[in-house]
Amino acid sequence: MSTNKEYLQIEREKEWRADLRKTIANKERTAKERVRMPEMDPQERIKYQDREVNIGLSAEQAQAEATRCLDCPNPTCIEGCPVSINIPKFVKYIEAGKFLDAAKTLKETSALPAVCGRVCPQEKQCEASCFYTQKMKKDPVAIGHLERFAADYERESGFMSVPEVAPANGIKVAAIGSGPASLSFAGDMIKLGYDVTVFEALHEIGGVLKYGIPEFRLPNKIVDVELDNLQKMGVKFVRNFIVGKTASFDDLKEEGFEAFFVASGAGLPRFMNIPGENYNGILSSNEYLTRVNLMNAAKDEFDTPVIKGKTVAVIGGGNTAMDSVRTAKRLGAERAIIIYRRSRAEMPARVEEVHHAEEEGIEFLNLANPIEYFADEKGKVNRMRVQRMGLGEPDASGRRRPIVLEGSEYDIPVDLVVVAVGVSPNPLIPSEVKELKVSKWGTIEVTEETMQSSIPEMFAGGDIVRGGATVILAMGDGRKAAANMDEYLQNKRKAN
Amino acid sequence: MANISTRFFGLDLKSPVIAASSSMTGHAEQVIKLAEAGAGAIVLKSIFEEEIFHELQEELSLRTPLNSDPEYLDYFDYVIKEETIRKYLHLISEVKAKTAVPIVASINCVSSSDWTLFARKIEEAGANALELNMFIAPSDISKTSENNEQFYFETIERVLQAVQIPVSIKISHYFSNLSAIVKKLSGTGIAGITIFNRFYNPDVDIESETIIVADVLSSPNDYLLPLKWTGILSGQMKTDLSASSGIYTAETALKFLLSGASAVQVASVIYHEGPSAITRMNQGISDWMDQKGYKSIPEFKGSLSQAATSAQAWERTQFMKYFGEKAY
Amino acid sequence: MNQIVEKVLFSEKVAKFVVDAPRIAKSRKPGHFVILRVDEKGERIPLTIAGADPVKGTIVLVVQKMGVSSAKLFELEAGDFILDLVGPLGKATHIHQVGTILACGGGVGVAPMLPIVEGFKKAGNRVISIIAARSKDLIILEDEIRKWSDETIVMTDDGSYGTKGLVTAGAEMIIQREKVNECIAIGPAVMMKFTSLLTKKYEIPTQASLNAIMVDGTGMCGACRVSVGGNTYFTCIDGPEFDAHQIDFDELIMRLGGYSNEEKLAYERYV
Repeated sequence: MSTNKEYLQIEREKEWRADLRKTIANKERTAKERVRMPEMDPQERIKYQDREVNIGLSAEQAQAEATRCLDCPNPTCIEGCPVSINIPKFVKYIEAGKFLDAAKTLKETSALPAVCGRVCPQEKQCEASCFYTQKMKKDPVAIGHLERFAADYERESGFMSVPEVAPANGIKVAAIGSGPASLSFAGDMIKLGYDVTVFEALHEIGGVLKYGIPEFRLPNKIVDVELDNLQKMGVKFVRNFIVGKTASFDDLKEEGFEAFFVASGAGLPRFMNIPGENYNGILSSNEYLTRVNLMNAAKDEFDTPVIKGKTVAVIGGGNTAMDSVRTAKRLGAERAIIIYRRSRAEMPARVEEVHHAEEEGIEFLNLANPIEYFADEKGKVNRMRVQRMGLGEPDASGRRRPIVLEGSEYDIPVDLVVVAVGVSPNPLIPSEVKELKVSKWGTIEVTEETMQSSIPEMFAGGDIVRGGATVILAMGDGRKAAANMDEYLQNKRKAN
Repeated sequence: MANISTRFFGLDLKSPVIAASSSMTGHAEQVIKLAEAGAGAIVLKSIFEEEIFHELQEELSLRTPLNSDPEYLDYFDYVIKEETIRKYLHLISEVKAKTAVPIVASINCVSSSDWTLFARKIEEAGANALELNMFIAPSDISKTSENNEQFYFETIERVLQAVQIPVSIKISHYFSNLSAIVKKLSGTGIAGITIFNRFYNPDVDIESETIIVADVLSSPNDYLLPLKWTGILSGQMKTDLSASSGIYTAETALKFLLSGASAVQVASVIYHEGPSAITRMNQGISDWMDQKGYKSIPEFKGSLSQAATSAQAWERTQFMKYFGEKAY
Repeated sequence: MNQIVEKVLFSEKVAKFVVDAPRIAKSRKPGHFVILRVDEKGERIPLTIAGADPVKGTIVLVVQKMGVSSAKLFELEAGDFILDLVGPLGKATHIHQVGTILACGGGVGVAPMLPIVEGFKKAGNRVISIIAARSKDLIILEDEIRKWSDETIVMTDDGSYGTKGLVTAGAEMIIQREKVNECIAIGPAVMMKFTSLLTKKYEIPTQASLNAIMVDGTGMCGACRVSVGGNTYFTCIDGPEFDAHQIDFDELIMRLGGYSNEEKLAYERYV
């Protein structure tokens, strides 16, 4: 599927699009305000862990928003998309009322548009490159909301297209991990006729989509629909199976698997290694979110416990920190506090999440960093010490360096702390496969154009390669790996 | 060989010549060689906070679009710090497994909060003692001398509470009331004081009209400043004193011992000559002792200190006064 | 879904299960553990594999009824299914020739000790085993341990079986009697703590197999973190065995109590 300029132009020149552009003058299009996504009331929504904050656009709202898009001759929005979705095409289908066609267009590139429409940081990607943002300094077309609309419409319409699957070619391939990278890899490979098995260590499929992102952002049932589709196409899912432990790669090769896509993610939690961090009541964000999202610990009828703090501090400023602090609020925290060492503007979380968090009453303690924790006689955390920070010169990534303000420490009483300062690549497969070339920090090294590792029959993608990144990038890796693994396997066949 | 043992860092040392903290004491093989050459103790390369930041900078500049997610990199300095500490602790335990010579870990303190946990880990890893490097150069005009001094004392207190192994401190000479400060430091419970820390000095290249780094190694005459203060300070307190900078020969080392130091720390001479410099110096000290009839260091240590001699000579600061008394 | 092939009651609180798990049976080595979930609402809990039959494709698990999850498992019968079972997890025991090894097992810790004892015996070592429990009905696997040990001592706190006394008393007697090259201790945390203090006194290298709280068991969450030698490790991927003399047992015991309130309430509700 090409996104080169010629192809885009051909598509743009098609009659239906040219006609559509003529129906409304650009001046009229740009006069409209960007649509506002209907949201659940903040005071209401903090009572529910599993109700989505964003309610979704109606068909009328979606069409009106789609009308704002100018169908630029040189669509800069596509350049902002990590996987180069043909954005004008799907947006114009929405304007034309052809919602299912819009969904189909999305699926030409993105395996899980219902997911990406919800979790992509559009404000840094497509919407940042939109003509409105770049040239008019106005609110961009709500591309993310429109993507979600089209995907949701297709799912709810009952007309979800199950793509054509090529005849089986008898070649067995395996994906390790069942997160977004593997799911998109599996989707492509099954369409090409391969025998695809996805191995998952946990008892649930979906990886970070299930255990990491809370339901109030990404409902599990949306992920389940996609998984269902993959199963309908013939993808096999094996749960409770750790490749490298339950069976080795050699075992799987003996069973006929010819190539592997390693997408085991970056699930290793990071701590700050400060005094008191091992007291009870101090959790990694992985542990906290896994208990709540995967094990339903907040629900009484489920056995897994979770600490429901009254004063909860979450350390960090990314999406994981936002997810953790908003979960704490929903679990009854009177004070749910973000403690981040840089300023508000520098928080890497999605702008929408920060905005929703503010509405929900989350407190933001910026320019602060924990240095020690204290506990009661039973070893349960009851107090933490933070230091105030200033911001110095930018570091090599362009972000200003946090500088300790000596003598500025003060204490905050807390009864639950969630450490959300980042994750590291899962060490299991690198430690099991000695010949696999791995970076100093544990990421699998691959050729960027092909996603092939140092071992020819092993490809890799997603967080295990990137260290920790977005869902859309993981999906892009999965698709790239599928295309290249296909070539590799076909060449191997021909050679034999 | 005469008995050249002494006591410093709160430890009994087989020689008064200590391998100071430098890039040469950052690798296990080098450290073992220094131990085998007869060093009384070896101070491992110091851990600097700035070093961690520089490694972070390097790491960030190597990133490609493939692996530069801002959330992933946000607290990456903690990852680097953890790795730096892990390697340091590994160095300590690796070296301790191979030699009985006392190994001293060294921390450079810029921000006081971080280092108590690290100090405990250093102790767990098997270091025999800890040297705190107090490197505050008074170039921050917003800080008063009281701020800087307060920082020293707070850090010392925190570290002393955190560990059981002896803690020493290496200070710079930038104090207007050096005697008073050292006296106060000696009352804190630290096991030793080392004078002085060297700063990297800038220099100017007039051809390129740029600021460059001056030669980082000490030259043989650099010993005069610490020697003077050894003479003045050693008698004023019970805490053991050691000195560094410009010590290239057994003769210089002996000058310090006579002036009241319990030991000397050397780095530049090892850089020039290799670990055998220590063997040479040990031999030189022993030969002189044999020649003089001294059986052990305590017999002559500090015999020329100000306290012992009441010599005004230590405090001669006036150029005029000195030259005034001599005829030309 | 893994079917229970056989159930044997050791006492009214301790049961042995033989479970169908062919892949785990084949890949597993002494020291490995599994994580299992009895049903949809259940917790994920760790259990050390007490034995395996690669030919039959089965593994052996021993459970003591203590809280909701272990009780749920305990109540299952042969023919029932365990919903989720994953393994083998953790690092296998380093079995090698040491000379004489002293194996101390406390309560249900004897179950994971059995394959280790067997392994060390097969590796040509002299094996002295002490199995201890509070009372007679908590002593398990005595015959199996005897089979693989040169000497076996049974101890109970209340004297209802074997020698009266704590495992540390028995261990010290052995240590004073003959040269012990290595020790392994598996049991309640406090038992391992005191056994470790004893062997530290005599400078006998000792491994302890830890029973930290776990959620995923695959290195993902850090719930099982433990301090060893001043550094933090994950019991599920770096352990479950560690150098006992370096383990911060007090911290481990503190962390084991992290959910004790919730656990108590849940068990009351269950019963």
